[in-house]
Amino acid sequence: MVVRAAGCTEEMIDRGHEEVNMFDPKVLEEDNEKKKSWTNEFGKVQKKFLGERPYQPSTASGIPLMPLYTPEDVKHIPYEEIGLPGFFPFARGNYPMGYQFMSWANQPVIGCGTPEETRERMDYLREQGMTGYFGNTFYNLVYDLATHGGFDPSDRAAEGRIGECGMSVYSIPTMEILFKDIPLDRTNVVHITMNQTMPILAIYLAYAEMRGYSPDQLRGNTMNWYHTYNVVSGLATFPPEMCDRLAAELIWFCTKNMPRWNTTNLFGYGIEEAGANAYEEVAVIVSAGMSITRRCMEQGLKPDEFLPRFGFQIGQGNDFFEEIAKIRALRKIWAKTNCHQFGARNPQSMQVRIHTHTSGAMLTAQQPLVNLIRTTLQALGAALSGVQAMEIPGYDEALAIPSEESARLALRIQQVIAEETNITKVTDPLGGSYYMEWLTAEIERKAMELIEKIEEQGGFIKAWESGFIRSVVERSARKWKEEVDSGNRVVIGVNKYRMEEEKKMPLYKINPETARIQKEGEIAYKKNRDQAKLDKALKDLEESLTHFRQGDNDHSIMPIMIEAARCGATNGELMSLMKNTLGWLSSAVVAPC
Amino acid sequence: MEEKTIRILLTKAEQDCHDRGVRYIATKLREAGYEVIYTNFLYPEEIVNTAVQEDVDVVGLSSSTLGHLTVLRHVIDGLRLEGREDVAVIVGGIVPDDDREALASLGVRGVFGPGSTADELLGYIKQNANDRNTL
Repeated sequence: MVVRAAGCTEEMIDRGHEEVNMFDPKVLEEDNEKKKSWTNEFGKVQKKFLGERPYQPSTASGIPLMPLYTPEDVKHIPYEEIGLPGFFPFARGNYPMGYQFMSWANQPVIGCGTPEETRERMDYLREQGMTGYFGNTFYNLVYDLATHGGFDPSDRAAEGRIGECGMSVYSIPTMEILFKDIPLDRTNVVHITMNQTMPILAIYLAYAEMRGYSPDQLRGNTMNWYHTYNVVSGLATFPPEMCDRLAAELIWFCTKNMPRWNTTNLFGYGIEEAGANAYEEVAVIVSAGMSITRRCMEQGLKPDEFLPRFGFQIGQGNDFFEEIAKIRALRKIWAKTNCHQFGARNPQSMQVRIHTHTSGAMLTAQQPLVNLIRTTLQALGAALSGVQAMEIPGYDEALAIPSEESARLALRIQQVIAEETNITKVTDPLGGSYYMEWLTAEIERKAMELIEKIEEQGGFIKAWESGFIRSVVERSARKWKEEVDSGNRVVIGVNKYRMEEEKKMPLYKINPETARIQKEGEIAYKKNRDQAKLDKALKDLEESLTHFRQGDNDHSIMPIMIEAARCGATNGELMSLMKNTLGWLSSAVVAPC
Repeated sequence: MEEKTIRILLTKAEQDCHDRGVRYIATKLREAGYEVIYTNFLYPEEIVNTAVQEDVDVVGLSSSTLGHLTVLRHVIDGLRLEGREDVAVIVGGIVPDDDREALASLGVRGVFGPGSTADELLGYIKQNANDRNTL
């Protein structure tokens, strides 16, 4: 970078014709002298405002900030650590083009009540311009609490959970309602599942087969959150070691059979939402990725075979610059780890493809329209970080599943940023900012320290079992809440600028008949299956799972599960077999509180 | 006579991961000297059983899925059947204002909706701690 020296003294003006490098030691030295005067001036103003009271601002994660950044603060960073977009270590983004010919994919989370209601919302958002890559549509579909738990609607444990927080889809016929007439080979279908990832994928593959699609034609994503959800969800789970093995098994199946399928989503968002700060989110999620990578390699897969199909879901919280620096740091760490530690050579194995989820935890129930402003800023930050896809919660999401209006406005936020602000015309517009590059390096350093701590404990699974990861996340959750309660961290509408809420918002409510409709549908479907064929498939699956538990893995779980799904097995039936054979731990065991 | 330590059961529906608030509350209550038991439940009767077995003074439900009215009805009826009407049942989390009346008529004795602070809950428990019947 070359600048023309400028200033106000004769001496400086005289030198103004000479072009000097801003990182030239002489220039840096002179700049440091000037910075002393600047600091002096700043000090005077500070004293005027604060008197003798101490002043030390910091990022949301507690990284101390200086009031100004200059070349001096980034001179320790080798230029190749920043480099160019599309080049290792990808600090400035995965691809050279940024958003110049194609914006990020709109990927709002959809899922409410019955599959019919969910399909209505899918169609509505598509009509409103929801677009993925190359004009294809991405459907980011979340299953309901009953399905997450592995309970079909008629199960008593499903009560109060049917169609709640997602869609009641658990079988081939419910999938048919959801996907009728949608070309599955030209659509990205993201299944947001928890422990039921394998059963739901098996049912989806059996359904797609009925429609004439083979697994290798399908595009989309399984979450594969066997680790990364369970580590912080505080809920019942398969044993941690078993989660690691299940995640790797799913990857093995998809790698061999579904070349267009994104197998694994590293769920940083959940870790951030549970309370982790920026660098903790990076560290925990990279550690989880390393654990799965090792497990896959032990199974004989090569890093370049499966790493290109890993993606990330990353939260975008309130500290505008820190959240951007976090994403840049994550890209560097992932690239270096996979290249240097695991020997990956394909750039796609090193790139962090990010689905941003702007923070749900930062939304407030008070003055809910203010959430539109928060999410807009967070989404702008995500766009300036160069992410690949976005979900923006509805402004009413601290209270309920988003209404049609709030879901539309959330989509409009993406559209305004992409199509009105002109920020998409330059790749990585923040690259080279002294502050941004300094903060990126700082977050990378802090995250690496924590990754090393987790590694010292034997890696992600051990640090999960010991409760270490949970304790890190909870410490930060607590710090945040205490700062809000004490008023030291401003949350508008909660601890500042409070007001009497003027009018009631119409909130989305699922059809009160949802549970009845879904139960009746399930009972009717289950009556019409070839019971003998189904029983045989389920028995085979039980045997395969038992072998798997005993460490004897012939990679038959997924093929047999798909066969069971062809015979009509539901999510509840498949999940209950998995729980019974692989072990199912209550939350009191895995996440004592 | 030695004062009995107040025992509090905090609970949240299994499958619902929004536990950041309730886990924070658990920590704060413990630090304030209370005994806290934390569980996730599949069925409402699990809450009643734990409350009775652990002889708790307070049951606090954390809710973020609008299912709290049904759950709390089961819990309050269940406690009554066990002769434990003295247990104070309270609720926190995403509780719409519209539900307050229905909750009060069910017999829910405290509602800590969005924006409530840990101090408010601590104040409530402390204020009512001397006589569990007035909780």
